[in-house]
Amino acid sequence: MIRFDNVGLRYGSGPEILRDVTFHVHPGSFHFLTGPSGAGKTSLLRLLFMSLRPSRGLIFVFGENLADLPPAGRAALRRRIGIVFQDFRLLDHLTTWENVALPLRVMGQTESDYADDVTDLLHWVGLGNRIHAYPETLSGGEKQRAAIARAVIGRPELLLADEPTGNVDPAIGNRLLRLFVELNRLGTSVIIATHDYALMDQLEAPRLMLHEGQLQVGAPQMGAR
Amino acid sequence: MSFLSDIKDYPWTSLLAGILPARIAARLPERFQAPSSQIVPPASVAGRALTVVIAIMTFLACLTAGGVYMVHQSASAWVDDIASEITIELNPLNTTDVEKKMTLVALFLAKQPGVTRVKPMSADDSAKLLEPWLGSTAALSALPVPRLIAVEIDRSNPPDMKVIENALNQNFEGVTLDDHRRWQSEIKTITRSTALGGIVVLGLVAAATIAVIISATRSAMATNRGIIEVLHFVGANDRFISSEFERHFLGLGVRAGLVGALAAAVTFLLLPFLLHLLGGGAVTEAETRRLLGTGELDIWGYLLLVVIVVVVAALCTITSRLGVFRVLKSYA
Ligand SMILES: Nc1ncnc2c1ncn2[C@@H]1O[C@H](COP(=O)(O)OP(=O)(O)OP(=O)(O)O)[C@@H](O)[C@H]1O
Ligand SMILES: [Mg+2]
Repeated sequence: MIRFDNVGLRYGSGPEILRDVTFHVHPGSFHFLTGPSGAGKTSLLRLLFMSLRPSRGLIFVFGENLADLPPAGRAALRRRIGIVFQDFRLLDHLTTWENVALPLRVMGQTESDYADDVTDLLHWVGLGNRIHAYPETLSGGEKQRAAIARAVIGRPELLLADEPTGNVDPAIGNRLLRLFVELNRLGTSVIIATHDYALMDQLEAPRLMLHEGQLQVGAPQMGAR
Repeated sequence: MSFLSDIKDYPWTSLLAGILPARIAARLPERFQAPSSQIVPPASVAGRALTVVIAIMTFLACLTAGGVYMVHQSASAWVDDIASEITIELNPLNTTDVEKKMTLVALFLAKQPGVTRVKPMSADDSAKLLEPWLGSTAALSALPVPRLIAVEIDRSNPPDMKVIENALNQNFEGVTLDDHRRWQSEIKTITRSTALGGIVVLGLVAAATIAVIISATRSAMATNRGIIEVLHFVGANDRFISSEFERHFLGLGVRAGLVGALAAAVTFLLLPFLLHLLGGGAVTEAETRRLLGTGELDIWGYLLLVVIVVVVAALCTITSRLGVFRVLKSYA
């Protein structure tokens, strides 16, 4: 499903953020991506959804080599991926509901077909009373939940979440984690970047650990620290 | 033809909401509202300045096209008029009884094949024709003013001018025939050069409009760069993104186009009065009338203005679409 072959990344002429990163992720799997702040978690996710190109190496997603994907293929691939940004990236002039519905609208679906799904999902993530609010008026945690709802509304085959529980209390964090697990059970591969050990301890899932540019795949562990 | 499919997909009932200013559009019945908020905020695309510029462009295009059309209409009516007539001029010098000679010539002409009507003009008529140039003066009657006979010819079976001219010259002295051909060709030259000038002006206006729209597209995309990025991340293709921008440019084109065309229509409605006000002396007024007819645009002329609005809207839409595609390509 995802394969990295000797991937290296540097910004401009700066130091290599990622060095010889090689790993693969099977369909339907659940991974944590972890490492200290500044280790390159966000950068790795950006490589995956094609907002960055690697300086070296090859990346395959859904069997496609990202290096020779035309723009049309890129759009088609992104529709199969749901992304939660660390900084949310909600559109300020759209309501919460409209932000969450955006991926479906972009796919050309009719509003009346998905209206109920969007509303249901917003209730599920606890934003039922903020449906018509604009992002400016949402708290950090509320924005985060809206961003997660937007990422999962299209039932993606791959979900990438960058610190999806960074701004919420443990109770809501667990609820969101359950959403990801539920999605994973339905067939979505999930990669969650986080340095929240408490969160990772909730679930027995392999950890991709970034340290000084190198990536190691840790065995699934639970409750260990 | 993706443009055609876009036209088909366009939410026509919500077009009104796209055309009207946001504040008024919000009051429309729900059926006419756009389905969901615009992904690209309208204000970030078509500000007031841009609307004014496009309205002015449309206004100029309408004035030009309407003016050329008017000249063409009145000129062809005029050419028609004078092509079905010839004028015989009688030199009063060396003639003792002008009236008698007039009658003789008129009778002679009436017998010629291809002539449908002969109308001798009185001395008063001649004087009236000269009035705009010489003023109405009693002294005119004392002058040897040439006398005219208007001859209407059958255009489906026109007479041979040469034969008539020769016959006239043989039978009478001091009679000349004017078949108006020189006038016809002169009028045609005027019409043609007006049309040519009009086309040049229209071309320049179109070029300026395209340039303005291109730069507006660029700046709209720069302003909304963050939105474009998010759209890309959620899987929007170029066609979706361009349609989000395009709809604003279509709205801009229709809105500004209507304002410009309406202003031009009002100008054309007032033109007869303006001509009268600015006309000054009788000569200039007569000349202007010659050129522009009554100064009134007929129904087809007004339809032409509608066509221009459509063209302006299409120009805005297509230009912005191509512009968006180009910029998106440069992002990749
Ligand atoms: N656009 C950029 N230009 C230059 N350097 C960058 C850019 N983005 C990130 N970096 C650098 O790359 C490194 C990795 O950044 P990244 O955001 O991937 O870390 P992270 O693991 O996500 O950190 P955090 O846990 O704090 O979110 C950092 O040292 C950062 O300074
Ligand atoms: Mg990060």
